[in-house]
Amino acid sequence: MAARRVRKGSKRRGKANLTPVFIGIGVILVLALIMSSGILKRGGSARDAEPTPNFRIADYRRDGSRFASSGNSYVFEGRIESIETIGTNRIISISLPDHQNTQERLPLLVPGNAHLRVNLTRGDRFLFETTCTTGKTDEGKQVKGVLVVKNVQTR
Amino acid sequence: MKVFFLLPLVLALLPGYSSAQMPSESSSTPTGFDASGSSVKPQQQDPAHQGETPNPQLFGMELPLLDPSTDTVKYNGGMFDVGNNAAVRARFEKYLQQVPDDSTEAKRYQALIKSILKETQKAGRDKNYAVGGSVLIRVGMALYKADKYPGDGGQSGTLASAIVSALDSQRQMLQRIRENQEMEKEMRKLLTEADHWQNENNRRPSGGNSKDGKGGERSGGPGTNLLRIARDVKQSAKLEGSQAANEAANQAAILSSKINYQSVLVSMLMARRFDHVVIGARTYRHVFREGDTKLDLSEDSKAYQLFSGGIGLPPTVNTLDTLASNARRDVDQAIQSVHGMLARNKLGEATQGLIQAVAIGEFMQSVATFPVEARQRIARYWTLRKRALTALNARDYATVEEVAAKMKEMDVDFDDSMLLSYTTGKKRQSDLAIRNARKALQAGKEEEFNKYIQEAGVIWPRNPNLDKGAEMIAKYDEGDSIKEEFQNLYKGGEFRKIARERERFKIVAIDPELAKQYEESITFVMKMDGMLQQIKSVADQDTTMGPCMAYEKMIEWQKEDPRYADDKEMMLAQKDFESRAHDFVQALRDADICEQRAEYGSALSCYYRAQCIYPQSDLAKQGAKRMMNVIVSATYE
Repeated sequence: MAARRVRKGSKRRGKANLTPVFIGIGVILVLALIMSSGILKRGGSARDAEPTPNFRIADYRRDGSRFASSGNSYVFEGRIESIETIGTNRIISISLPDHQNTQERLPLLVPGNAHLRVNLTRGDRFLFETTCTTGKTDEGKQVKGVLVVKNVQTR
Repeated sequence: MKVFFLLPLVLALLPGYSSAQMPSESSSTPTGFDASGSSVKPQQQDPAHQGETPNPQLFGMELPLLDPSTDTVKYNGGMFDVGNNAAVRARFEKYLQQVPDDSTEAKRYQALIKSILKETQKAGRDKNYAVGGSVLIRVGMALYKADKYPGDGGQSGTLASAIVSALDSQRQMLQRIRENQEMEKEMRKLLTEADHWQNENNRRPSGGNSKDGKGGERSGGPGTNLLRIARDVKQSAKLEGSQAANEAANQAAILSSKINYQSVLVSMLMARRFDHVVIGARTYRHVFREGDTKLDLSEDSKAYQLFSGGIGLPPTVNTLDTLASNARRDVDQAIQSVHGMLARNKLGEATQGLIQAVAIGEFMQSVATFPVEARQRIARYWTLRKRALTALNARDYATVEEVAAKMKEMDVDFDDSMLLSYTTGKKRQSDLAIRNARKALQAGKEEEFNKYIQEAGVIWPRNPNLDKGAEMIAKYDEGDSIKEEFQNLYKGGEFRKIARERERFKIVAIDPELAKQYEESITFVMKMDGMLQQIKSVADQDTTMGPCMAYEKMIEWQKEDPRYADDKEMMLAQKDFESRAHDFVQALRDADICEQRAEYGSALSCYYRAQCIYPQSDLAKQGAKRMMNVIVSATYE
């Protein structure tokens, strides 16, 4: 499955001197887009989120901080292998379907304040929109490279 | 008369011998063993005389009495083992080494002595046998002939000279007697003549005038005969005086001659020349014919004490004859008995018999001609016996037993039970002392250890176990350096080296504190080895999870007791498990690295990976839990 990296706020703009054929095609595409958007909304999923391509858990294991550059978001499609609830927070481990090595797990923090519209259950596959970020404990200790779930979509 | 063996060993052996009493080693240790293996203890000294210097004068001038039941000689109240007496032993050994003289001269000599004995015996028995001259001439000539044989030792010549000397003396006596007889005749003649002149004087008238005038001229008158008478009387008195002097000289000569002769006989008896004593005693009556055979011995003389103290018989020439004859008979019987016992392989009894025969009658023909083969057999047995005695005195009990076994092989009747009981007892005593020494050493009691080792050495100096004691001592001496080495190893956690050389380090157990450490080291290594064996076995059974489990166990143990990490065997095993559970170990290590870099998400991912490889991993589970707690405790932008 191909994954594409998507940047927020980037949209194609049409050219002013479009011919009628192109206008027609554009209309059709717009209509198709509107239609597909309506279908996604019906199933409770985000149509605009795509899994981040070329993400390797092994790379994350070796150097998690590298992924924590400010503003870096990652979308993963994966199956929940375990869920650990600590207080109001949850930590889930997911396996990515494109990983041949079945012994790789990616830990994601699902904060208690995250408003998810889906019910996370073990064994189900979801699309996780995450941000790799650095936190700080009350003692001032840094916690680098934690993938915090922002949104989850069913797949 | 059943004799008390006359041991004129007596004087002949050692004139100056003193203190021949057996040396007493201790009251419990026998001084020696006789041929049968029985121990012979020296007689306890009378407590009343303990302060006095014992000087029993074994070959002195008192007759020793042999007790055949114990083979001991009673002498001056002391008991002596004939076989164990140094002087007798030396004499006997010399005798055993001598080769009997079988030469023609020797045989001729023996025949000669035998013929002289026969001659004297015949002369003594036969009442009609001519007493005197002819017998003495034959005996004297034969003795001078025998004197030429070197083995005679000049005894025959001495006896012959004594006889000749006595005869010379008697010839002089006869001469003096004859002179006296001549003088007697002369005296009678003189007295007769004096009587005649006296009668003549009496016949003449007083005044002295004769008619013819011749008488007065012949006799010189009435006083003339008186002078003649006086001369005869004087001459007679002179002769009488000479006669008396001759008689006195004869008495002195006879006494001197007897004393001389008797002295020769007594000295020969002392020298155990019994043949010559018999010859001399029997020719005595031919030399001195007056029938008096009493020995003229001073009561103070040692020779007199020899008779009075030993046998209670009056000192006469006949007594000498009896003593010498009995000794000859006893020695001959002893030699016969020795031959019989040798034929029956009873070497112990044969040796004892021969030693007695030699001690009493060394110069007897039966002893002197004892066959060389028989001597060699007895010499071999004697050498063993001597070795046994030497070994026993040296307390070398192993050698004693070895020699006793050989003696038993040689002598069917040899009873070694008492000997072996004695040696076994002593050996056990010594071993027990060594055991006590070992215990004392283990308890760290050095003084007791020394005491017991010394005791063991005194009881049985050649105890092979004493070498172990010596090793113990050496170990004890080097104990300080070992102790230091042990302490360094213990501090350095090198328990395995301690365990490997546990025997060498055992010595440190003397110190109670080190003993605990020693015990702890050994126990620790044993426990560790047991654990290693167990996890190796599990790792071998399950090649996928097994090494992971083994590695994790080892890490757990090291956390429980850091000393495990320093053990080389543990380290080797750990390396092995690490290579066999590489991914699992790597995941845990990566987790650790990430944790140190505060990359808790990555660390958690590593733990997840470890859990995927080995789901039962406690380390991974605990690590994941720890990471999760940190992650959730943080605040994110």
